[in-house]
Amino acid sequence: MQTRLEKFILFLWCGFSYVFLLSPMVVVMGASLHGGEFSAAIKFPPDEPSFQWYTKIPIEQFKALGLSLIVATVATFLAALIAIPAALGLVRSNFKLKFIVSTVFRAPLQIPAIVSGIAFLQLYYLLFDTSGLMLAGTIPGMLLGHIFIATPFMFGTIVAVLQRFDRRLEEASHSLGAGRWRTLYRVTLPTIMPGIYSGGLYAFMVSFADVPMSIFLTAPGFVTYPVELFYAMENDFDPSILASSSLVIVFCLGMLLVVQKVVGLEALLRSGGGSAR
Amino acid sequence: MNKLAKTISSWSLVVGLASALAGNATAGEFDGVTLKVATWGGSWKANIEKIIVPKFEALGGKIEFVTGSPAANFAKLVAGRGRAPFDVMEILDAQVGDFAQVDYLQSIDLDLIPNKSNLQPFQYNETYVGSWNTQETICYNTEKFKELGLAAPKSYADLAAPELADKVSLPDINSGAGLANFGGYIYAAGGNEENIAPGLELLQKINATKFWTRGGETKTQFETGDIYAAVVHAGWCARAARAGSPVMTVHPAIKSGVNGLAKEGWLGIMKSSENVKASHWFINEYLTTDFQYEFAINSGVFPLNQASIDMMRSDEINARLMEMDAGNISSMLRIDYSKVDKTMWIDGWNKTLTAN
Repeated sequence: MQTRLEKFILFLWCGFSYVFLLSPMVVVMGASLHGGEFSAAIKFPPDEPSFQWYTKIPIEQFKALGLSLIVATVATFLAALIAIPAALGLVRSNFKLKFIVSTVFRAPLQIPAIVSGIAFLQLYYLLFDTSGLMLAGTIPGMLLGHIFIATPFMFGTIVAVLQRFDRRLEEASHSLGAGRWRTLYRVTLPTIMPGIYSGGLYAFMVSFADVPMSIFLTAPGFVTYPVELFYAMENDFDPSILASSSLVIVFCLGMLLVVQKVVGLEALLRSGGGSAR
Repeated sequence: MNKLAKTISSWSLVVGLASALAGNATAGEFDGVTLKVATWGGSWKANIEKIIVPKFEALGGKIEFVTGSPAANFAKLVAGRGRAPFDVMEILDAQVGDFAQVDYLQSIDLDLIPNKSNLQPFQYNETYVGSWNTQETICYNTEKFKELGLAAPKSYADLAAPELADKVSLPDINSGAGLANFGGYIYAAGGNEENIAPGLELLQKINATKFWTRGGETKTQFETGDIYAAVVHAGWCARAARAGSPVMTVHPAIKSGVNGLAKEGWLGIMKSSENVKASHWFINEYLTTDFQYEFAINSGVFPLNQASIDMMRSDEINARLMEMDAGNISSMLRIDYSKVDKTMWIDGWNKTLTAN
């Protein structure tokens, strides 16, 4: 039983955590409503609240946002196609060099993304020299890079779920006459689904927010959203950046609500999400 | 009178026809050409989009931008072993030494850059053509200095005043202006490109606690009152002034007869570029009076074109914060990067700040 003091401390700690996590978003969204004179600094609380900066978001930022959403979605899907069989194979096999394979799958987490970006660019030029296939400055080239950084997150969470998986469920399925594929489709995958969703969420976020690697893989005509914002801010501060960021925050919160409705965030938390890190 | 009118009309017709024919001849000059330009993003790119892009499109071509700092674009070049996803690139003077070690740039045919006549001879050569410069200054808040009882600073050493503790921002060594201004401290303290020790002592004495990586940060910090003085180019100071901060610039005393430090921007054509003619056209357009003036006003850099400099005088803030005299601009300190050992400079900087 918790004493009243313990409850109070818990309440205080939770409240502090919420304030700590949410206040940057509140400031950004609040300042995006600044309607007074142009200000070189963030104005919070905003003067004369208005949506004026929302009408001044450059079209490039919307294009970049669309590209980022597509790249992150496709990279997440393809990372899942790599990570699910890899995790299944790794957890259920007993070969001696298992730890090496596991390390290789987690390696992208140890390499700074900027190094990965340079390495990918060099690899693409090398590939071009040897095969004539040019991936540098192309969307497939960028996707490969994003899959590289997203896969370990997917792999780690699925491995964590599989390690706690009760294999007797599969045995029961087999004993009832289901084949291996049917068991995989009807028993295994639904059971590890929270891990896949959780890993997918992390993979999506890592891909969507990446700057250091994308800097090397973007090309004229397709720049990801964080890179576009980064370069827009390099020269000057413009409150339309706050407006644009606020839209993304709202979008992400909306997505979280959808995930909560469809899967349930509790399920994601139970899956051991983030254990890859 | 009638005869004169007829003659004028006839000549007008001939000239008009000739102009029209010439116009048609150049209208499709760059049909199907996509020129890729590596430059900064944000308002920098927006200026080029506003003024140069429509002209190129009128000639049938298209300009695409590879946005990023010159350092990031150089890294892309190195990763691609000289093959670049762009034709023309903005280059900082501090990178000239880096480019000298590699063979990534092609020669510029100066005959195709007639607007070079708007520049001074040291501002172009067969590898680089100057595009802008910045006047690296001490920008300070006049009201705060008055409140603190401080006189206007005259040199970098004046930033070491105890009253300014925690209120001075210097360019980070890794920022675009970092090496140039460090060179300024070195020279002001009696050193040179090879002898940086005096500059390190001065840096230690200033004991700054804030270091900017983007000039725009100083504009914000002046407005919020986080800083009272910054080493930053006059364009950023002008932007702070336009945003309402009571700021003024000083071109710091460097050595006898030399006040102020200049940093040049250059344009180069990539060796891997196949759009050579269009690249020359772009560089030439960059030097027009209209573009140089508009660009300077909107982006905060200083024009190289003398006619544009004259136009700058009409703006009260520019006239107050920037040096307009061509002679004084020419005599500002320019770091000779061919003599700079970047590793030594950066190591020295880092060690000094760590010791502080």
